[in-house]
Amino acid sequence: MKGVRRNIAGINIDRRTFLKGAALGLAGTALPLDKADASFWEAFFQKHFREMNDAEIKKVIERLEKEYEQKYKKAIKVGNEKAIPGVLFGYGLDLSRCIGCRRCVYACVKENNQSLDPQVHWITVLRFKKGEKWIDLENSEKYYNPQQVPEPGYFYMPVQCQQCENPPCVRACPTQATWKEPDGIVVIDYNWCIGCRYCMAACPYGARRFNWAEPKRPSEEINPNTHYLGNRPRYRGVVEKCTFCIQRTRNGRYPACVEACPVGARKFGNLLDPDSEIRYAIEHKRVFRLKEDLNTNPKFYYFFAYGV
Amino acid sequence: MAAIIRIIKNFFIALREITIGNKKYYCWLAFLSFFVLLGLSAYVDQLNRGLIATAMRDQVSWGLYISNFTFLVGVAAAAVYLVIPAYVYNFKPIKEIALFGEMLAITAITMCILFIIVDLGQPTRVWHILPVIGAMNFPSSLLAWDVVVLNGYLILNTLIVFYTLYRFSIGKEYKWSVIWPLIIISIPWAVSIHTVTAFLYNGLPSRPFWNASILAPRFLASAFCSGPAIMLIIFQVIRKLSDVEIENRAIFKIAELVAYAMGINLFLLGAEVFKEFYSGSIHTYPIRYLYFGLHGKASLVPWIWAATIMNITAFLLFLSPKTRENFVTLNIGCALIIMGVYIEKGMGLVVPGFVPDTLGEIYEYTPTMQEIVITMGIWAAGAMLYTVLLKFAVPVYTGKLRFGLRGKRVVASDIMTRKVITVTPDVPVDDIEKILIYKNISGIPVVDKDNKVVGVVSESDVIFREMGEISHAGQKAEDLIPHGLTLTAADVMTSPAITANEHTPLEDLNRIIADNKIKRLVIVDGEKHPVGIVSRIDIVRTLKNIKEEQ
Repeated sequence: MKGVRRNIAGINIDRRTFLKGAALGLAGTALPLDKADASFWEAFFQKHFREMNDAEIKKVIERLEKEYEQKYKKAIKVGNEKAIPGVLFGYGLDLSRCIGCRRCVYACVKENNQSLDPQVHWITVLRFKKGEKWIDLENSEKYYNPQQVPEPGYFYMPVQCQQCENPPCVRACPTQATWKEPDGIVVIDYNWCIGCRYCMAACPYGARRFNWAEPKRPSEEINPNTHYLGNRPRYRGVVEKCTFCIQRTRNGRYPACVEACPVGARKFGNLLDPDSEIRYAIEHKRVFRLKEDLNTNPKFYYFFAYGV
Repeated sequence: MAAIIRIIKNFFIALREITIGNKKYYCWLAFLSFFVLLGLSAYVDQLNRGLIATAMRDQVSWGLYISNFTFLVGVAAAAVYLVIPAYVYNFKPIKEIALFGEMLAITAITMCILFIIVDLGQPTRVWHILPVIGAMNFPSSLLAWDVVVLNGYLILNTLIVFYTLYRFSIGKEYKWSVIWPLIIISIPWAVSIHTVTAFLYNGLPSRPFWNASILAPRFLASAFCSGPAIMLIIFQVIRKLSDVEIENRAIFKIAELVAYAMGINLFLLGAEVFKEFYSGSIHTYPIRYLYFGLHGKASLVPWIWAATIMNITAFLLFLSPKTRENFVTLNIGCALIIMGVYIEKGMGLVVPGFVPDTLGEIYEYTPTMQEIVITMGIWAAGAMLYTVLLKFAVPVYTGKLRFGLRGKRVVASDIMTRKVITVTPDVPVDDIEKILIYKNISGIPVVDKDNKVVGVVSESDVIFREMGEISHAGQKAEDLIPHGLTLTAADVMTSPAITANEHTPLEDLNRIIADNKIKRLVIVDGEKHPVGIVSRIDIVRTLKNIKEEQ
């Protein structure tokens, strides 16, 4: 048993499984030979997430948990918490506070089981020179690396999935592998995505990430509290993105980036609750959203609490 | 039922043709197989390592594969450039070869599908894109539209090609009532495949470089240059290597149409360039990156300028009848167009859509060797498919392979070679010699200005002249030369020609050939217009075909 069998979902396709798949296509007679193969075909024929009933989802989740346990040698819980009725998540980012420390970036990576090699980040922090035009983003610097932040003469703008109300990525996906949940979070079914990357071309915010190689992450770094549509371990060849930490927020917690921010620049809450922090920000600050001309209607609001 | 089994059986008999060929044919297939296998092994490695084997990254998430896909959709759509003059305007020289254009469309679409497959992160899940068994996002996703139109176009062209060949194989022309609806659908459908592919890009407001309404017309215009340019070269190869007759008139007509398309293409490109540079908004970074580079990063700059120069040069070459009707300049023009358009709407279109990326980063994409090898593998596979399609179709097309003769009263029209090469009486014998040699035939009917058969020039007529023997005209050849006259067909032909009509039965054909000690018979219609030739080898072949059908 080589590396192939570790990931049964058919992502580690080596020559053998590839030929097997080809044989199935050609002859239609290839039969599973052992238990692992049975699981391979189960993964292969897994239905679209939204077409499965609860019992089917439960079975899939059991299979995934077994797979992950084999691969990471530890128990990993794959949750399937549904959207809470009456909740529409919104995010606020106070640009006047952000110091560009990137703690949010790494808190996100710690929480969401991204690949560490090659590195996958869901949050990009852009640095701009004060006094220069900045809204076209072309003047931004993504790879700034100073001794100390904040740097005089610069300001910072973190960008992540804007959870658009009118998401261009969802419209683009040819297989309906990505969709907007009732609480406004745009999610991806990593077992349905074919990896065509049309959503990445469609996203105006550079928020979507592709697993160009097999995601690598040591077992001790794996966060075992996961969600099917969120931070469960991903496969090679599929797209992933920020989900507002769906595994946390649907259980009443803050996203990891909100908790990690040392200056309180990040706000999060229910847009439908008039007493929420995010509603307060929207109603009392001058907010703007990124690339508003594209009518994507992000639920990610930038604002300036005070002037610096 | 029995009829279907017979058709399938005959299909396999015809299929056997692809395994039979001369040394050149086998060498060509071996050459292509080498690249196919090389590409396949590179692809297996890409499957093992993931798409990290390519130079694509999150910033530039599409590259060489999708560039080739875009170019080839255009090649496929260009079949319509033959179909319209052939079927709608009934331009005979092109009508006879539209089949080869439709076969090119089949090949190009197959290559498109391969380029999509190698670009997928999860190729085994490709069925998710299908309706019913998958979850096709139709009509919302333009990629889903593309799946529909491309596969529909593939099916349409396959139907047209195989139906036509089936009719030819039983010695008949296609039924207009069957072919007409297919053609009528295929014309707008061809336009749709390239329009939808353009919409795939220009429907994305996130990418200002693509988000231009001029993109679909530009795609079509450049497709109508590159597709026909490829066909022009293929046609010359076909008529050189097989006994398929393709008239110069057809080739020059297509070249003329290419000139118009290139003119429109350059105009549309100019309109785009003007709007971008003159308006000078922040959305012009990609085009500036393409033509001049940004922040010292300029990997596409030499390519796009080369493509621009190639396209303009080719346009000028094709514009003048003098250069487009000269095979040297014509072929140079074709090569320039193919390369120019390949760059312009391949990498020159796809990559600037991503540079700078949506957050302003400039990532320079240069394909890896692996991407290049896989790409070459798919091109070789396409060339192989087209070769095999030709090998299968040509004997049926020329009437060498014919079915349905067994147990039937065989007449001339069942077995004759239909594409008749003729000469007029004033054609010099030197030229006739060339035709005999290069076309590998043994005789040519001579027709007058009303296309009525007046005689035949055979190999022996030419031999008699060369050997100084008495020709059939009853004059010694040398007698004519001192008068400073060039010998022409009229001087050496056997006249009147021995002819038969389309309904003459096989036994009578045999008898006429034997009685007159000739090798071939010109088959004429009621007005003495030549419609075919039955030579001895046609009869031998017929007997063999009948035997094989058992």
